[in-house]
Amino acid sequence: MKGRPGRGQEPEDVLSRVHVTNLNKVLYPVPGITKQQVIEYYIRIAPKILPFLNNRLLTMHRYPDGVGKTDFYEKDAPQGTPGYVDIFPVFSRTAGREVRFVVCNNLDTLLWIANLASLELHISLSGTGSYDNPDFLLFDIDPEPPLNFEDVMQVAHIVRRHLEQEGLVPFVKTSGKKGLHIIVPLTTGHRFDAVRAFAHRTGIAIAKDTPHVVSEFPHSRDPGTIFIDYLQNARGKTMVAPYSLRGSPGATVSAPVNWEELVPGTRAEDFTIRTVLLREKEPWRGIFDSRQTIRD
Amino acid sequence: MQETRKKRAGSAPQRGQEPVQPVHRDATNSLAEDHQGHDSEGLQGRQGLAGKPFWSGSITIGLVNVPVHLHTMVRDKSFSFRLLHRNDGQPLRYDRVCTKDGRVVPWSETVKGYEVRKGEFVVVEPEELKAIMPESDRKIRIEKFVYCLSLDPVFFGTPYILTPDRSEEAYSLLRTALVDLGRAAIGKITLRTKEYPVVVHGYKEGLILTTLRYADEVTTPGAFEAISKLPVPGAAELDLARRIITDLSGDFSIADYHDTYRDAVEQLVMKKLAGEKIVYESPHPEEAKELMQALKETLATLQGK
Repeated sequence: MKGRPGRGQEPEDVLSRVHVTNLNKVLYPVPGITKQQVIEYYIRIAPKILPFLNNRLLTMHRYPDGVGKTDFYEKDAPQGTPGYVDIFPVFSRTAGREVRFVVCNNLDTLLWIANLASLELHISLSGTGSYDNPDFLLFDIDPEPPLNFEDVMQVAHIVRRHLEQEGLVPFVKTSGKKGLHIIVPLTTGHRFDAVRAFAHRTGIAIAKDTPHVVSEFPHSRDPGTIFIDYLQNARGKTMVAPYSLRGSPGATVSAPVNWEELVPGTRAEDFTIRTVLLREKEPWRGIFDSRQTIRD
Repeated sequence: MQETRKKRAGSAPQRGQEPVQPVHRDATNSLAEDHQGHDSEGLQGRQGLAGKPFWSGSITIGLVNVPVHLHTMVRDKSFSFRLLHRNDGQPLRYDRVCTKDGRVVPWSETVKGYEVRKGEFVVVEPEELKAIMPESDRKIRIEKFVYCLSLDPVFFGTPYILTPDRSEEAYSLLRTALVDLGRAAIGKITLRTKEYPVVVHGYKEGLILTTLRYADEVTTPGAFEAISKLPVPGAAELDLARRIITDLSGDFSIADYHDTYRDAVEQLVMKKLAGEKIVYESPHPEEAKELMQALKETLATLQGK
């Protein structure tokens, strides 16, 4: 990811363009993490997160007064959005009007977003170049108590084997909450309905052979189940970006992981604002060079 | 205050250091001013320091007059920049431009308008304004005396120093009586075209006149809903808060405070005058400094890609 031509790329230049404010405000009261630390996290994670934000519609999940206080999703570029922020207008059928989405294509924008206390960054599964064609296939796997992250990891491995039998190479990340997200990067030209149908078929096949796993939305909240959500594969739906912070009390991160890391003892809450920066692993390295095609 | 009449001296004594003033002539009720030896009593220093008065007149209390000069007391030391044309360094001037056709309008074609609604004006002629302008009669008319501590400082406007106009004795008498009683005089003055309520009170060696704001120029805190409905603090919390305040209490000296921005601008200008090369540090909040290292490393990584 490069800055725009002609733009200063000294730290002072960045801070003269993006005015950071209220740096001492505590955004995560439990671990006592301030906005300054959140901004610093996004600065340091920028080389890893920017490729996933690039040319994707962004939905900001803002916590202006910190986690535990009022939070809201923001799809529209707010008033006063600076000139260095790219905007992508989309006609929303549900809203009945044009929504002007923020697209985070540079470090300045990322800093500006962090300064808005947008702890969570949610991205579209398709890019601005071809908004109607997904380039990510997503399985969102979530447990209902009393099942937990251990059970989710087991199911994720089953999904992985299933996909590998189809000749696919899936990638995985923690959701930052209780579940896991499994991703397959896609070649151009896929359609949402076909991708969704594929994900649904996969879920049904796994649910048939695996106790506790459900593939249908009406059962998604049944106690003691694990839901393989295929419905997110649709135009206008989003997923939390890899390396995004979550608005959870412990400042967890939706962290890309290696499949080998998903073993008993690994906990979702181990991946936080403090630990993710220290990881040298880049489990999703090369993900855009391994785009795959799924058959209808 | 008690009227002390004294025979006016035949001719005013020569006062070399004092700037030339329009002489106040209100002999009938004027308190006599000439008192030999008074000049040597700690006043010469003040005369040297004090600037020219900008107004002369008299404090009138009933039939008594105390002739005084009015001097500026506070100076706004903030500075302003001139706007220049970057290409040739020439100062820019503001012109009166018609908002309709964008043409420059000469003074002779202007008239005053009072905006009654947005974009709707009532034209007011100079003669009409002159007719209702308060008359400047060179008097500070005192109407009553109040306890100094009963005055609410939020109504205080600008303070001026009053100096005696050839009538030190009357001035001294008024000052001493006010200070002894802990009282201040409330009255009115017309300065230029505006009439102000004023308070005259003793301050250090002299008398100060402070203009007052009109009641409708000041908002009271209770007008804010958030303030009018304040909860009563709990006894324990209040006790703690009081302890903290007591612990942190100390003396205050305004001399400890400086306008650091003004100092920095003056330094900058002095350096530029001396031909020194200016190393320009772009401003960013102190707190942001810790973000600099992170930015530095990230920019290096991003550019390395």
